[in-house]
Amino acid sequence: MTTETRASTLTRTPGPSRPRTRPPVGPLGRTASGAERAIAPVVLGGAVIGIWQLLAGSGLVEAYLLPSPAAIIAEIIEFWPSMLSAAGITGLNAFVGLVAGSLLGVVAALVASTSRLLDGMLAPIVAALAVIPIVALAPVLNTMFGADSRTGRQLIASLAAFVPVFITTARGLRQTQPVHRELMTSFAATPWQVMRTITLPTAVPYTFTGIRLASSLAVISALVAEYFGGPRGGLGGLISTSAASSAYPRAWAYVVAAIALGLAFYLVTLALERWASRRR
Amino acid sequence: MMNRTRRFATFSAIGLTAALALSACSAPAETDTGGEPAAELTPVKLQLQWLPQGQFAGYFAAADQGYFEEAGLDVEIIPSGGDIVPQDALANGDVDYAIAWVPKVLGSIEAGANVTNIAQIFQRSGTLQVAWADSGIESVADFEGKKIGSWGFGNEWEIFAAMAEEGLDASTVEIITQDFNMNAFLAGDIDAAQAMTYNEYAQVLESVNPDTGELYTAEDLNVISYEDTVGAMLQDAIWADTERLASDTEYQETTVAFLKAVIKGWVYAAENPVEASMITINAGSGWGPSHELWMVNETSKLIWPAPNGIGFIDEGAFADTVAAALSAVNESGASLITAEPPASAFTNEWIQRALDELEAEGVDITGAGFSPIEVELLEGGN
Repeated sequence: MTTETRASTLTRTPGPSRPRTRPPVGPLGRTASGAERAIAPVVLGGAVIGIWQLLAGSGLVEAYLLPSPAAIIAEIIEFWPSMLSAAGITGLNAFVGLVAGSLLGVVAALVASTSRLLDGMLAPIVAALAVIPIVALAPVLNTMFGADSRTGRQLIASLAAFVPVFITTARGLRQTQPVHRELMTSFAATPWQVMRTITLPTAVPYTFTGIRLASSLAVISALVAEYFGGPRGGLGGLISTSAASSAYPRAWAYVVAAIALGLAFYLVTLALERWASRRR
Repeated sequence: MMNRTRRFATFSAIGLTAALALSACSAPAETDTGGEPAAELTPVKLQLQWLPQGQFAGYFAAADQGYFEEAGLDVEIIPSGGDIVPQDALANGDVDYAIAWVPKVLGSIEAGANVTNIAQIFQRSGTLQVAWADSGIESVADFEGKKIGSWGFGNEWEIFAAMAEEGLDASTVEIITQDFNMNAFLAGDIDAAQAMTYNEYAQVLESVNPDTGELYTAEDLNVISYEDTVGAMLQDAIWADTERLASDTEYQETTVAFLKAVIKGWVYAAENPVEASMITINAGSGWGPSHELWMVNETSKLIWPAPNGIGFIDEGAFADTVAAALSAVNESGASLITAEPPASAFTNEWIQRALDELEAEGVDITGAGFSPIEVELLEGGN
């Protein structure tokens, strides 16, 4: 860190390709186009569902194979309590995984940022972690932690969350501006002070972008992990059970719940990201 | 036991021969997909509900022994790894016949699938719930508060139906999704694991008890058979397309010819379990030879004896399955079916024709002469 700081003190001028420190302002910043942007997808979504309903009722496609939106909504209403509890179970696994994976990702990125050697060692491992299929991992973790525990699923979710958080945080930690570092050097700041006042605040928005990306991954991973054994009751298990009995409207109702859960995670983390970038 | 040793010797010899034959030439054993298919053969697609294994020995034997070809059929047997729902493939028109458990298809029929049970190959349920001998779980009533294993994917309805009879609902137990093996049970994560007589039960008996260094024995286990409960449901049946069955005379003829060949295949598997197990291994079953032989033997026990003839659908048993399916409620509060299935859900018309013709040919259609063999399971099923 200190050598790098000294080096940039000598060069004085920042490199031409240095990225902006502030992430771009989101659509919320512009209210006029914000309304348009909100209406457009709603209209499109409504049109798609309308066409779907017409198709499902027309006899062109068998209702058995393509359940109509109305049938799915009826199932959602009928199985509402079960959907809530299932979303709660899967959501908790995803949440635990997201928190644990994000913390690990931040810590690992901090470790990687301390030396180029460590960075070089960690980067390929993370790249490898990112592509481990759940199919291979889930049975192993279930055997390790017991098929009656949810730990395996939470670990799978945390692994999925770890990768984007690590990558974005590691990048964020490299985004400090030379002028800031030079100022700190002139104050004879310790490496810890530099870290606390410059490096970390610069990296925070990047970390939250990573968490936002990780949120959907955590939900889908926690859900898919349910296909490979463990306690029943989550969304993934109920989707597979419903589909196996050809109860496709019910299966799709649980899919809708999974989408809602994923969206909830995404929106909350998006709000966190906005908050983190505004605070700076 | 003299008999067992001799059988085992024969079986090893056949195993060796087969291995030599396999290493000598890599051509598949099936004759139906061979080089020169006769011009007259009617192409037929049969969808299995799982991967090739002894559970389907009769179909593979019919292909291997040329019974399909004799019947003028070119049958393609399509395995499933759980990714294909057989009755959906049938309802979709992707295949001509499908093998599936009755309760699962009842759910599909209620959802709108237009399929008909034309032959109830398995006369009885082969599902067990296996617990350790010292677990205190001796009947379904003892499930309360326990960790009950099930594979899910629609295989859980017998459990819920049997529990409903004991006044238990899904919330009184903890249902754990089991992988399709007994690892979670052996590790102690599950109090009572779901097992088929012909497969997972044998997997326990093929495992070494770390305390004794020997294989587990039946004495180590409490075995609850769903066949002894009202939760029992009919399993492997052959399903056909209801509409084509009603209007397509060619399909009707094919159906009778197909059923006749299938029955011959099952008779062959019952009379020649060792050869049948080699056939399924050659067809791609991944099990070891002793496990495969166990599977063929136990599968035959579910089929034979068949007092009304193999495949004949007992109306009482079908009604019991419907009643059990109506009573079963899973943990999300869903029932498998909410109303009686239509009359088109099963018919004995075609199997009866096939049985009559075979009886005239002198085939033992009731399994009067069937006696199961003793299979010695070796470690890991090898």
